Amino acid sequence: MYIKRTAVIGSGTMGADIAYVIANAGIPVVIKDVSEDALEKAKAHIDDLFQTRVARGRMSPEDVQNRKDNMTFTTSNADLADVSLAIEAVSENMRVKRAVFRELDQALPPLAIIASNTSALSITELADATGRADRVAGFHFFFPAHMMKLIEVISGTSTSQETLDTLRRFAEEIRKIPVSVKECPGFVVNRVLMASMAEVLRFQHETQIPYQEIDQAITKAGLAPMGPFVLGDALGLDVALEVARTLTAAYGDRFQPGPQLEALVGEGHVGLKSGRGFYTYR
Amino acid sequence: MDEAQEQRLILRFSLATFLESVRLFEEDIASAEEIDIAMRAGAGLPKGPLRWADERGLDQVLQDLESLHASVGERFAPPASLRDRVARGQLGVKSGIGYLTYAQ
Repeated sequence: MYIKRTAVIGSGTMGADIAYVIANAGIPVVIKDVSEDALEKAKAHIDDLFQTRVARGRMSPEDVQNRKDNMTFTTSNADLADVSLAIEAVSENMRVKRAVFRELDQALPPLAIIASNTSALSITELADATGRADRVAGFHFFFPAHMMKLIEVISGTSTSQETLDTLRRFAEEIRKIPVSVKECPGFVVNRVLMASMAEVLRFQHETQIPYQEIDQAITKAGLAPMGPFVLGDALGLDVALEVARTLTAAYGDRFQPGPQLEALVGEGHVGLKSGRGFYTYR
Repeated sequence: MDEAQEQRLILRFSLATFLESVRLFEEDIASAEEIDIAMRAGAGLPKGPLRWADERGLDQVLQDLESLHASVGERFAPPASLRDRVARGQLGVKSGIGYLTYAQ
């Protein structure tokens, strides 16, 4: 299927970044949120991203205007009437997402695809909220979406091959790299990242070697662009702990992170955003 | 951290990364090629985990895992797909095939 017009549902940072990526590929995009305030913030965020490109000489002000002319900010479902792909990026909560999927199922044309940017929830459960389970899939961007090239295209039990093919093509059209993934807790990237992070946390607990020495050894050996403790702080230790618990429940003790993560989160030290996590900031 | 500890850290990190990637492959969640692409493009790893193992040599990786399995625990048990490949002489880059295939 050819994707002529798209929508991003939910205009938080992730939704705004996704809409920016789509607009930058010259594809019309409707940005829908229930809150006018959230839409204003998204507009300002997208303006910043464009301005950075102009300041670096990567885009002309005319180009920016052309891209912006392709973006529609709205709170109304009426603007979804001729959309052929909607990407949902609302908060990571099954009840909220299912309500959005039910609403989209009513508002979108019958053949439109509904994709979720979820990093953890079941695609099949989301698809069940609609009457078009064959046209529902995961379309998982990585943070920040305007820089990271990967998209995990995730199939639920009823997702059709045509839907997956369309989404892979669309990912390439917006200059991303698609990989096809069958639904499972953590999908590919987060599952592998958390497995290695849990192992390094256990190593640290056994040896009591300082976090910084461990991070340095891993980057010095060229194994990863940043060490697991820097990464955890950036991700948010509350988020990391939640993911570790979900994956431990799904796969077993190899995702058990050891006591440090739980202790830090318990003390309110959740990483970069709170000024302290494994490291202290400012 | 002394040299031996550092080597051990690097091995545990690399093998935990490799093992989870192999599980995804064995569960048919994604292809070997796409698992490597995902970890490079989505996590910034300089080398895909399956390619890493193929370059190290799957016979060597099997030895590494057997030793960690004995000293650290069950989570480092060598996966079936690794034993199979080593038994068939598919040792990675040096034999032209491992988890991925290589032009000779």
